[in-house]
Amino acid sequence: MKDIKSRIHSVESTRQITKAMEMVASSKLRRAKERAEKSRPYFAALHAAMADIAAGAGDFSSPFMQQREVRRSCWVVIAGDRGLAGGYNSNVFKTALTAMQGKECCVAPIGRRSAEYFARRGIPAVTSDFTMIEDLTAEDCAALGDRLARGYLAGEFDEVNVVYTNFVSMLSQQPAVLPLLPLRAPGTKTGGALVCEPGPEEVYDAIVPDYLAGVLWCAVCESFASELGARRTAMDSASKNADAMISELSLHYNRARQAAITQEITEIVAGAGL
Amino acid sequence: MKNFSLQIVTPEGGRFDGEAQMIRLRTIEGDVAVMAGHVPYATAVGVGECRVVLPDGSERLAACCGGLFSVGSTTRLIAATFEWAEDIDTDRARAACQRAQDALAAGSLDAAQKASLQERLRRAELRLRVAETVDER
Repeated sequence: MKDIKSRIHSVESTRQITKAMEMVASSKLRRAKERAEKSRPYFAALHAAMADIAAGAGDFSSPFMQQREVRRSCWVVIAGDRGLAGGYNSNVFKTALTAMQGKECCVAPIGRRSAEYFARRGIPAVTSDFTMIEDLTAEDCAALGDRLARGYLAGEFDEVNVVYTNFVSMLSQQPAVLPLLPLRAPGTKTGGALVCEPGPEEVYDAIVPDYLAGVLWCAVCESFASELGARRTAMDSASKNADAMISELSLHYNRARQAAITQEITEIVAGAGL
Repeated sequence: MKNFSLQIVTPEGGRFDGEAQMIRLRTIEGDVAVMAGHVPYATAVGVGECRVVLPDGSERLAACCGGLFSVGSTTRLIAATFEWAEDIDTDRARAACQRAQDALAAGSLDAAQKASLQERLRRAELRLRVAETVDER
């Protein structure tokens, strides 16, 4: 009976923790979701404008658009700082590993879990300045975008991809791989109607680091919202499981208590010799 | 004067979406001003002031750093950072200015670090200048 009592206690305190984590996750989630939604129009506008330049500026070539033979590829893998978010982290890593298979890779991890995971697997990191996703700012993304653009131009790696998690809804998050560099050339050219100053190449080269920063920022926002969504769902089901366990254990406890009382009465009655 | 539709977006959300008479901003090559009926045009944005003249003739001032400016069916300013003068946190800008200056004065930096600090200093100074211009009015 004492065993059951202490089990109930420990499950109750676990439940308190999971409940608290759920509350924290849902309050942060609202902000993160707003941020992700705000960043989407930026990304869309940026993407459209880049495509406009590429399509409308006539013939030009940029080192960012040249397809090179891929010897080494760089992967920006965005995961969480903490566990206890259901399959959130492991889904990201699974997607990343499948995509990375058979290539010589280096990573730019974002999120502590991601940094630890790739360090354990012995995959070299390009940078380890961005390991905390929670307090990552748009400026940090700009710094990372800069770093990637420079590394790409210097031939450190021949392609850049980002693995992140798409925030589909509160209940559904989808890991995805997005190729960043080299930029894909547009399918159709509309001729040289667009005036670029100083010139299409210069404009393109000046914009690419900003473009990378924009994409990374959006991916970070989406991923962070996804992490909180996943954590909230996981913690919600953990709290429900704890509730179910508590009620089952209480039932056992009460039965045991009743049985003990009944036995005691029987013993007293037998002892009195009635 | 004729108006055109102008959109200003940043990673932190939209800053402007509506009609304007004119926009003036600093590109990587120098200042440009765009009015209605401009030819399709694209350029990269530098670090500098941005002025938007609204349909009623009033002018709004902002600090704008980096990004892309494109004129097409709509005029889009896709800025890395864009802050209206009245939204600028002068205390923060002043602190950033001070930090960058201190770090530069401390020395022992490689070229890349120095360049990034100077860039930061330039942005902080721009913010302060823009905020002060509005206060004086």
